[in-house]
Order: sequence, then C-alpha cells, then structure tokens
Amino acid sequence: MSNSSTNRILLIEDDERIRSSMQMALEDEGYEVAGTPTAEEGLELFAAATPDVVLIDVFLPGMDGFEFCRLLRRTSGVPIIMVTARSDSQDVITGLEAGADDYVTKPFVTKELAARIRSLLRRVHTHEGPPATLVIGDLEIAQEAGEVRRASQPVHLTRTEFRLLCELAGSPGRVFSREQLLERVWGYDYFGDGRLVDVHMRRLRTKIEPDPANPVVVVTVRGLGYKIVP
Amino acid sequence: MRRLGIRARVTAAFALGALVLSVILAAITYTLVRSETLRSEQSTDQRQAFVAASLIHAGLRASNPDIPVLLGSLGVPAGSIPILAYQGSWYSTSLGAVRDSLPPGLRRLVTSGSAATQRFELNGIPNFAVGVHLAGTGASYFEVFSMANLHHTLDILFFSLASAAGATTLGGLGVGRWASQRVLAPLRETARAAAAIAGGRLDTRLVAGDADLADLATSFNSMVEALQRRMRRDARFASDVSHELRSPLTTIQTAVQVMQHRREELPARSAQALDLLSVEVDRFERLIQDLLEISSSEGARMALEEVDPGELLLQCIAATGVTGFPVDVDPALSGAVLKADKRRFERVVANLVENAQMHAGGVTRVSATRIGNSVQIAVEDAGPGVPENERQVIFDRFARGSAARRRAAGRGTGLGLSLVEEHARLHGGHVWVEDRPSAGSRFVVELPLSTPDT
Repeated sequence: MSNSSTNRILLIEDDERIRSSMQMALEDEGYEVAGTPTAEEGLELFAAATPDVVLIDVFLPGMDGFEFCRLLRRTSGVPIIMVTARSDSQDVITGLEAGADDYVTKPFVTKELAARIRSLLRRVHTHEGPPATLVIGDLEIAQEAGEVRRASQPVHLTRTEFRLLCELAGSPGRVFSREQLLERVWGYDYFGDGRLVDVHMRRLRTKIEPDPANPVVVVTVRGLGYKIVP
Repeated sequence: MRRLGIRARVTAAFALGALVLSVILAAITYTLVRSETLRSEQSTDQRQAFVAASLIHAGLRASNPDIPVLLGSLGVPAGSIPILAYQGSWYSTSLGAVRDSLPPGLRRLVTSGSAATQRFELNGIPNFAVGVHLAGTGASYFEVFSMANLHHTLDILFFSLASAAGATTLGGLGVGRWASQRVLAPLRETARAAAAIAGGRLDTRLVAGDADLADLATSFNSMVEALQRRMRRDARFASDVSHELRSPLTTIQTAVQVMQHRREELPARSAQALDLLSVEVDRFERLIQDLLEISSSEGARMALEEVDPGELLLQCIAATGVTGFPVDVDPALSGAVLKADKRRFERVVANLVENAQMHAGGVTRVSATRIGNSVQIAVEDAGPGVPENERQVIFDRFARGSAARRRAAGRGTGLGLSLVEEHARLHGGHVWVEDRPSAGSRFVVELPLSTPDT
C-alpha cells in the first residue's frame, strides 16, 4: 500500500471550498485525492477507492467523524487523520479513542498536513538486520508481513499500533520516552502531543495484554516512558 | 499623625471603658463600705462609752470612790482606753494614756459640760474618742478607741478593689482585641478575596457567614459574577469570531499555497501580489491562533508533564531556529522537575525570542537559572530597553509600546507578550521586564518548580 507510486487519500470535509482547495493542494503534493462531504458517503467510497490515508473533519452533518472512525476501525487499520477545531479540547481524545491516528487543527498549512501523512505512511523501521519475526512472550511479530499473532491467534492492529509495537519490540527492555516514540512513529519533534502516545498505548494494550488494566507486556516506566518486557 | 487603625481604636476604647467603669464601681464600693463601717463602729463605741460613763457616774456618787478600782471594774473591751478627769486629776487604766492623749478641742468641749466625739490620729494610729461630762460630779469621762484594725481592713479592701479594677481593664483590653479581630475578620476575608480576584482567580467568592454581613458578601459576589460574566462574554466573543474565521482562512491559506506552487507560471505582477497575499495570510493565521489561544486560556486544559526545565528550554530555542547567542542553563537545575505544558512553554520562549528579534535588535543571551524553588527563564536583547512606564502595559493585549516600530516590523500580532504572561500565569508563575546592566532589556519568566516525588 505504500509503494512509491501515487498514494491515495480519502478526504471527508463538508465545507466545499475547503475540500476543493485541499484537494488541489494535496494533489500538488503528489497524492491522488477522492473527496466527499459526508461520512456516510465516505464509508461507501472507502471500499471502492481503497485509500492509503483517510482525512476527516470531525464535525460533519449526519454521522460525525468519531462515529466514522469507530465504524471504519472494525474492518480497517488504515491511518486516519482527523481535522479538529481545537487542540486543547476533549475532541482530540475522543477522536483518538475512536481510532484516529493523528490530528491537525484548523487553520493548517497543507505542507504540515502532507508531513503528517508522510509520517503515517512510513514503513516500519528495520534496524540493522533484525530478525524478520520478533517474539515477545506469546506474541509473534512478523515485521515484513505486518502481522501479529498472540498465542498463534492473529491480532488485528492498526498500522500505527503495529509500528508502535515494532519500535518497542525492536529493543526489548529499553525505555522509550514519549518524545522518542512521537518522533519515530509520528514524525513529531519534542513538542508533539504526548496524548497521541498515551491513547495509542492504551488501545494497543487492549489488544495484546492478557489484562489491559494491569499491563505486563508493555509497561509504563513512571516519569520516563514505556518499555516492552523482554 | 497617622490615625490609629480600627483594631487599635476598638481595643483602646474597650480598655478605657473597662478602666473607667471599674474605677467608678470600686470608688463607690470603697466609699460606701468605709463610711458605713466607720458609722457602725463609732455608734457601737459611743454606746459602750455611754454605758461606761453611767457606771462611773454612779460610782462617783458613792462616798470616797476609789477611782482606779472604779475604772478597772469597767471591763472595757480590748483596744479601748478609759480616761477620767476628776477634781483636776487624770486617771486611766493604761499607763501611757494621759490627758495629752486627747485632742485639746474635745477636752475643752467635754469639760465645759457637753458630750462629744472626735476622730484623731495619735502616733500615726487612727483613734476615735468619745467624751461625756458627768453632770453633778464635775468629772469628765473619755474613752479612746483604737481604729487601727478597722483601717487595716479598709486598706485591704482598697487594694483588692484597685487590683480588681486593674484586672478588669486588662480584661477589657483582651476583649477589645478579640472583638475587633472578630469584627474585622470578614473585612480581612473580603480584602483577601479582592486580592485573589485581582490576581486572576475569578471564581473566588465570599461566604456569607454572618447575618449582618450577608449584604456585603452578596453584593461583593454579584459584582464578581458580573465581572466574570463580562470577561467570559468578551473571551467567548473573541473565541467565536476566531472560530468562524478558521474555515475561510483554511481555504484561503490552502488556495494561496496552490498558487504558490505555480508561482513560475504567473506573470511577474501577479507573483508579486501573491507574495504580499502570502505574507498577510500567514500573519492573519498567526493572529487567529493567538486569539484562539488567549481567549481559551480561561478554563484551559493544561497538558502538564514533568519535564527537565533546562532540556525544555534548549528544545524550545532549537525550535525557534534562531541562533547566534549563548544559552546558559544553570547547573543547579540538573534534576529539577518542572510541571509544564510543553506546547505553551514553547510559545512563551518562542514569543520572547521573536519579540527580541523583531523589536529589540535581537537576542543576546538566553538563560535558565534556579532561584530557590523556582526557575527563571531570561531572554536578553540588545534593544533600547523598555521605558519604566511601559513595563506593565507592554504585556497588555494589542499593546503597542512603540507603535511605529512594531508596525514597521509587520509580523507581530500584538498578542505575543500577553500570551507569555497568560501562559506564565497558567503555570503559576509570572513575567516581567527589567533593564540589563549594560544595555538592552531582559524579559524574565519565573515558574515554580515542583518538588520531586519521593
């Protein structure tokens, strides 16, 4: 899906003028863009367009962006970037918990948005010749195939959750700060929003931990960050 | 002379009142007790003397009376001395008592045929003498009563009353102090609340604990509420306007970017116009961002994290992209923990650096210093400094210290420094500007460090 040829973007934005201008700007950045004003149409279009990234405004008439994320997450791990009103509002947390991978706040510059998209589409870091398959306890992580099994049962992770897991599993026992994870997975600098890491970590734990409330695989090191228990 | 405070005055009034009242009461009590005791003592003495006199009178009528025996048979009570003047001689049962013991006035009066009494002092001892002329015998009978015991009792009474008056005065002083403190407590509470509100804690309210002060509390609270409502309305208006502007601004910005992408295809004049448009759209965007930030700062959600202040400062400076000045981090800050919203902190540093770059000839030095349990972030510049009278207003919204210079720079939103102040306040700190010893000014943000967890 992230081959060097054109990446496809599904753009869901009800403001027609913003949609057209964004479509033009993203096409200038080399993406193929399919735009639609409603989440309902977005869901239909998703099947046909098979986008690599979804961009969605959270405030839409009818089905809102949060609901869209929840529905889409049942079947797909595609990166979703939401467009929110305010970065300091509860909307960000709600959206991330609904399944969004990242967010931008209006007004934004398309270059900034393009950078976010590029980061989410980045391939998994392959360190100096690591094993193609990492094994952590009863977890098997097939880095190339992008698959995770827990006790031989497939676990469905989103693309971002998978990359997060690979970062941690690549160096078992090493503590990663939120800043480091933000940089490696989302491409943010020191000032990235730490909530991205926290919410994704929570979601990842519900999928790979025997008891997500008392994590034993990915543990929090207070004041420092996260590490995977080798 | 400075007028005394309410507390001192109330306390003094209570003490003075207690003093006057207790002295009057003590004086009345002493006077009444003294006169009544003296009166009853003297009438008892008088009766005793008259009885003795009638016995002597009867004894003298007998033939050949033996005067000493007669006097001795009287059986006068202790502390009283009988004296008899008979046929030019003076007799007494007491050795020392002679006619000179008696005051001459009394002596004359009685020997000339009357009955009389007199209080007098002899050798510093108060005495009471009763004299009776014994008609038909030419004799005069006197009896002298010592009043030393009575006076001693009265002295004790006097000292007791005086001490009681003193104690009452002290008590009045204490009660006055306590009462004035009680009365002034709501006033102090009000002053504290007013100070808190002036300091920006607008949700401060007075509790109407006392029925008499309920009016004050109610009107105070409604004043604060009106103020808060008004401020909220203003903030919401700015926030609403900014929100409404975001959508068209997104379109404009994105469209400008599409045009910039094709700049080479445009005729020279259009390209020039596009550049103007770009710059202004960027500035407009910054203004909207600042407005949103400042109008949402009340009740804003702080994304607080525990960070290393020195590291954070270095990251902030790196993020500004401005170089060519030293950044000094106090070694005493190693291990220090600052609870900060990194994004807001970054805005603080970025705005201060930008301010120095745009208006003050550039940053000359940035430092982070530990002062007690706080960290001071200082940004120094090479500018002309900020005049004394502008040092506070410079942090006001849209304050234009030197208007011409600021507009010439063309990028400032007029909100940069007030955002710095706002963010510093949200971190429990504050900001000020001072002169550098050599030249230029120094903006200092002081933030409290958090005590490391144990």
